[in-house]
Amino acid sequence: MSEPALLEVRALDVHFPVRGPGLLPSRLTLRAIDQVSFDVRAGEVLGVVGESGCGKSTLSRALLKLIPATAGSVRLRGVELTTLPKAAMRPLRRSMQMIFQDPLASLDPRMTVGEIIAEPLKALLPGMERAEREQRVLRTMQHVGLLPAQINRYPHEFSGGQAQRIGIARALVVQPQLVVCDEPVSALDVSIKSQIINLLLDLRAEHGLTYIFVAHDLATVRHIADRVMVLYLGRVMEITDRDALYARPLHPYTRLLLSAVPIPDPALARRVGPTREELPSPLALPSGCAFRTRCPLADARCVAERPVLREIDGRYVACHHAEAAAA
Amino acid sequence: MTASLLEIRNLAVRFTTGDGPVYAVNDLDLQVRRGEVLGMVGESGSGKSQTWLAIMGLLAKNGRAEGSVRLGGEEILNLPQRALTRLRGARMAMIFQDPMTAMNPFLTVGRQMTEVLEWHRGMSRREARARCIGALESVHIADAAQRLSMYPHEFSGGMRQRVMIATALLTEPQLLICDEPTTALDVTVQAQILALLDELRQRFGTAIVLVTHDLGVIAQLADRVIVMYAGRQVEQAEVHTLYGAYRHPYTEGLLRSVPRLDQPRSARLATIPGRPPDLARRPAGCPFEPRCAYASELCRQQMPPLVSLGEAHLRACHYDGALGPQGREA
Repeated sequence: MSEPALLEVRALDVHFPVRGPGLLPSRLTLRAIDQVSFDVRAGEVLGVVGESGCGKSTLSRALLKLIPATAGSVRLRGVELTTLPKAAMRPLRRSMQMIFQDPLASLDPRMTVGEIIAEPLKALLPGMERAEREQRVLRTMQHVGLLPAQINRYPHEFSGGQAQRIGIARALVVQPQLVVCDEPVSALDVSIKSQIINLLLDLRAEHGLTYIFVAHDLATVRHIADRVMVLYLGRVMEITDRDALYARPLHPYTRLLLSAVPIPDPALARRVGPTREELPSPLALPSGCAFRTRCPLADARCVAERPVLREIDGRYVACHHAEAAAA
Repeated sequence: MTASLLEIRNLAVRFTTGDGPVYAVNDLDLQVRRGEVLGMVGESGSGKSQTWLAIMGLLAKNGRAEGSVRLGGEEILNLPQRALTRLRGARMAMIFQDPMTAMNPFLTVGRQMTEVLEWHRGMSRREARARCIGALESVHIADAAQRLSMYPHEFSGGMRQRVMIATALLTEPQLLICDEPTTALDVTVQAQILALLDELRQRFGTAIVLVTHDLGVIAQLADRVIVMYAGRQVEQAEVHTLYGAYRHPYTEGLLRSVPRLDQPRSARLATIPGRPPDLARRPAGCPFEPRCAYASELCRQQMPPLVSLGEAHLRACHYDGALGPQGREA
């Protein structure tokens, strides 16, 4: 960890004001991201996992300043982004790009593939000559496995997997350092999903990219990520190297998530108890540890005291009982 | 229990579109046995959902179904609307991926549930209400009586799916069709819903058709599995045979391209090259041929018929050699 991180996130909060129920509603605060801190190292893939409502997508958008942070700090190569004025943010947008879940919904249906991929170049590198821009678009199309002949086609002429290649090309055309991938393969069919995952890994190797890979599918994340961050109700539960996390998860929530993934082998079919508490409302978080209402290890301390993210055997875990799991 | 509950013969589903006909399901023959869980797996456009929508009489307006579907010996395909309405709910029911869109947001859950019993069973509101409370309890919803006066949006996704299952089972149907019942849910909730379906099948002896793209989900619950590709059945087998001794190259491709937590991580995922099939085209040969590593000239020219390999194992493929790495190099 000697070289400085590409992205440093410290005590990030993203809160949304919400109207309470009733005729004279009170104002409630939804803590979508609550005191989240982590680093992303240059060249790595950081996986971000958790159930719906855990803040995965809010976090990706807040990192790119698509939604404002309420408090805390996000630094890209040492430059603080949360307080940066819009005009000063523009050059930095070239360094940070995003790939979305639904490829067809995130592409303008009235623009051709060439126009879609050229748009970030026009916006972020307005000085670029037209000929050079075209060259760049064609080269990027080739990198992601699109044919030059497809440049004048429209998004609806493409299948989901091909459309996701367009989304990837649009993100990569400005040659970013960091790409935030928000569930990029969740909407794709099994046979196409593996093609896109392999493509993302190839592009990372060829262009020295860094990814934040947000997904709910733990098996996919294990395949692509070097480190994994587990979120629950807007808080970090665990951040650990991939192999350590999957071999020996220290947080009870990580264990719950892993145990629920169905294995495609009937001989290994597992039966989970029929009832277990669901996610509490994010508007009324439990005291102490957010996970305690579903945790088999919860005790009085978990009710009284919020566990901080602390280091155990070189891993980071927010659990009062992590030593028991580590032993 | 080999008696078949549902018999599908020669089912074809076609849609008329502005760009010409789309062949969604072709020459489909299959049976659902009493009390079994039949898994149907395939990707988008495989015809897995359209098959069951056709049987329920729920095809889009531009869709047409042909062939024969018998439920307990009685022909039910393309029944007039009134007969279908009596059948649906009473003898077979279907639940969907997104329970929110299958419910009426303006009616309480209780109203939507009691309606089923008043309509199909002629029960009084009060009688129906008591039955609905029991039904919600059987899908492990706490405070069932209070829950009945709540609206769908007041439930979480997993709870809504439980309500849908409870509603579907109110009339004790012989067949419950579940179309991607857990796809919109988190893995933790998915595990609960799968456990619930398994429990209900054992308690009530309901036959379940589980339609999904997820081979992990099928492995948890199914007794037999049908693999669909481009509107055709390409392989059918008992669940352990399908995962352990599959004989179709597409089944192999699907199983190999899923990242799995129970196996060592590989540097690269296996893929199925190429693109999903175009259902507007009807190739003379095997629809999987353009993406198949084992394809030969015969596969381009002739559609492989579905043939028995013995032991209730069927497949539609011309290739006779070994699958796996050896087979591909040969």
